Amino acid sequence: MEPILQITHLKKDFGSHQVLSDIDFSVNQGDVVSIIGASGSGKSTLLRCINLLESPTSGDIRFHGESVLDSSIDVPAYRAKVGMVFQSFNLFDNMNVLENCMISPVKILKVPKAEARDRAMMYLDKVGMTSFINAKPRYLSGGQKQRVAIARALAIQPEVLLFDEPTSALDPQMVGEVLDVIGDLAKEGRTMVIVTHEMTFARDVSNRIIFMDEGVICEEGAPEKIFNQPVKDATKAFLQRFWNR
Amino acid sequence: MTSLPSDFLGRVFFILQRYGMSYLRGAGTTLLISLISTLFGCIIGFGVGVVQYLPIEERLPWWKRWLLVLAKGLLKIYVEVFRGTPMMVQSMFIYYGASQLMGINMSMWFAAFFIVSINTGAYMAETVRGGLLSIDNGQTEGALAVGMSPIRAMNYVLIPQALRNIMPQIGNNLIINIKDTCVLSVIGTVELFFASKSVAGTYYTYFESMAIAMVLYLTMTIVASKLLRLWEKKMDGPSSYDLATTDTLAFTSGLLTMAPAKKKERRD
Ligand SMILES: Nc1ncnc2c1ncn2[C@@H]1O[C@H](COP(=O)(O)OP(=O)(O)O)[C@@H](O)[C@H]1O
Ligand SMILES: [Mg+2]
Repeated sequence: MEPILQITHLKKDFGSHQVLSDIDFSVNQGDVVSIIGASGSGKSTLLRCINLLESPTSGDIRFHGESVLDSSIDVPAYRAKVGMVFQSFNLFDNMNVLENCMISPVKILKVPKAEARDRAMMYLDKVGMTSFINAKPRYLSGGQKQRVAIARALAIQPEVLLFDEPTSALDPQMVGEVLDVIGDLAKEGRTMVIVTHEMTFARDVSNRIIFMDEGVICEEGAPEKIFNQPVKDATKAFLQRFWNR
Repeated sequence: MTSLPSDFLGRVFFILQRYGMSYLRGAGTTLLISLISTLFGCIIGFGVGVVQYLPIEERLPWWKRWLLVLAKGLLKIYVEVFRGTPMMVQSMFIYYGASQLMGINMSMWFAAFFIVSINTGAYMAETVRGGLLSIDNGQTEGALAVGMSPIRAMNYVLIPQALRNIMPQIGNNLIINIKDTCVLSVIGTVELFFASKSVAGTYYTYFESMAIAMVLYLTMTIVASKLLRLWEKKMDGPSSYDLATTDTLAFTSGLLTMAPAKKKERRD
């Protein structure tokens, strides 16, 4: 079966600073891939390259076999097939919760308004936020904002969902509610790539773990393998530090 | 000619009785020019401000980059010229220059709207650029991530937020315009100051005429700023939100059904 996303020899420099070097991996239908690794190892840059918020220096990203770096590609249309959830939520401050979830379906994907509303309500229900549809983001807690951000990403009905440390900006008591939602999505069989520091969560929901270190994929494999029998010293050291926190 | 009353208030009422309509017409003209020109000025300001805000990105084709650099340069000159010279001088320069250099006889009205709009635009351009720059980059990224093109991100997310951020400055500009339209008297626009001066000249009642003008100007500026404050409040929406009731939760298209809301239990 052809992978949904296939990343080959991906490289990203910021000026003379090489942040990603020779990244290779692919994401298949139904995969839940968690990316772990120290701060500054290039995890965010990798996700941002995948949905073209950063343009890769070299290498290729294929979506259903087609290079998204080709100049003929419709970048916004591609991004609408790859949902993204940010660490800092990035909800539209000028819109209420419902509008946040409807703007792209209605204005970009041209879904009829009534249908877009139902769809938004369905996903807001999934994240437990239907009673807040009239609230502007500034009235929500961090956990609530992130749940709305997930509903907004779901509302464009993407084929893959990317999460960049979705719980890192949250107070500890709100982490659970967001991880629950993502866990539910994993059970539904959604294809997801999740950058996270929540190791227990990563172990429980993922079918594959990628450990990144200094811009390369250092080790990759099933959760049991990475967490129980890591091979590389860097992985061992990282996990050691983590469990001993 | 009836003789003037000897006391201040008496003279004021005398003037109002005879020339009340000229004052009102003058005030109306002032208000019309300031309102319309502030509106056009904002449109110009948004156009210029957005262009000045656009980054010159390496990945653009070279001709687009040069076009952008050129546009930015020309607009910068426009802003500097109109912010750096008095509107009174500009008025005469443009009004008489147009007829002498280009043989265009601008109507006085067109000249009035044109001059105030283009002035406001020059001031608003920098304000708009600043308003856009003050918006967190995450807003743009959120918009791009849900599939908006940069232009749509601008329209749906950035410009509405910039507009809200700069509402106080728009109000300021309107108030400045209400006052500064008086310089248009040099090209013969009969706004409030021109009207007051004419009446003053007829009876040699400068103090009384200007007192009336002061009151009218002050009324207009205070009302304008109060109305703008109300509009700002309206843009902000309610200061709290209602939890949605079953009524608003009703599905409208009937295409999808919602499972009964289940209680989310905490993970930890
Ligand atoms: N826009 C940028 N310009 C320059 N350097 C950047 C930029 N974004 C990220 N970096 C650098 O790239 C490296 C990897 O960053 P990032 O991908 O955010 O790591 P992680 O998400 O794993 O913490 C860091 O050293 C960071 O300073
Ligand atoms: Mg990061």
